[in-house]
Amino acid sequence: MRAVACQRGKMAALRAGLLTRALTKGNTPGIPNIILGTRAASGPSKDMLPGSYPRTPEETAAAAKKYNMTLEDYKPYPDDGMGYGDYPLLPERSQQERDPWYQWDHPDLRRNWGEPMHWDFDMYIRNRVDTSPSPVEWRTMRNQLLGFVGFMLLMFGLGEMFPCYQPVAPKQYPYSELYLERGGDPEKEPEPLKHYEI
Amino acid sequence: MANYKEAPLATRPKTLDPAEYFNLSPDYRRAEEKRAALRAQLKRQYLEQLNNPHRKELIEDPALTRWTYARTNNNYFRPTAKTSLIGGLFGVLPLFVLYVVFKTDRDKREAKIKAGTYERPYKLST
Repeated sequence: MRAVACQRGKMAALRAGLLTRALTKGNTPGIPNIILGTRAASGPSKDMLPGSYPRTPEETAAAAKKYNMTLEDYKPYPDDGMGYGDYPLLPERSQQERDPWYQWDHPDLRRNWGEPMHWDFDMYIRNRVDTSPSPVEWRTMRNQLLGFVGFMLLMFGLGEMFPCYQPVAPKQYPYSELYLERGGDPEKEPEPLKHYEI
Repeated sequence: MANYKEAPLATRPKTLDPAEYFNLSPDYRRAEEKRAALRAQLKRQYLEQLNNPHRKELIEDPALTRWTYARTNNNYFRPTAKTSLIGGLFGVLPLFVLYVVFKTDRDKREAKIKAGTYERPYKLST
């Protein structure tokens, strides 16, 4: 608790110091950049964190080393502005596909310490999306499901448009359609209703 | 192990991949050796920290830190044609489309109510 408070105090002092220095100098990078760019020194250094898309072979090699991958395996996401930076593009395989009998460091996640995590790692955990092979091909499954659902929707829609049921008439009640029960005046005589035709 | 057939809903383990047995090119083997060396180094670092009797704190995983940092800080987002299109399609267009849809629906209902032809769908009283 005291360590966190100390860190916060240091962060505030760091921010204040940077703010005054940047504002007194000529070319300030902008207040939002200053506020969001400050980071406590107790965390990882800038070269251990993800960086921008690698442009030179040296940057690629450094990035591969940073992510604990071999140079052949390391492949960044294509640089189209979507915000991946130099994060590696790993195969889209869920954690369920990994060997269940190997002694993983984190057995429930089937992952070892220090292994590069997929960008969508939280999607590929064993409770969620699974890419392991299915008994029937995906195409067949999808066609069967959509076919059945579409057929049922079609039939229900047709049933709504063209209803077909036994002929019905409004319900007929005795005692002149329950004249007294429905609050009719007992002094007055209700008019008689005939439900038949001869 | 030559006629190993994997379980119906599982992938084949890497050690039983035919490429591991029949692919004897030195390049492939060298790449595999490098990967194995990296894995072994990481495993050693982890086990050293895990089995250290004087350790009191949690073992920090830099790969996890990097992943968290990459996912939460969108420093490298850049407005390009593709990103602007996606942003417009999912962020700006629904506002206008939904406004138009709701407005026309409500106006039609209001007109019907004013004309007296609106039938309430879930009327509870007779």
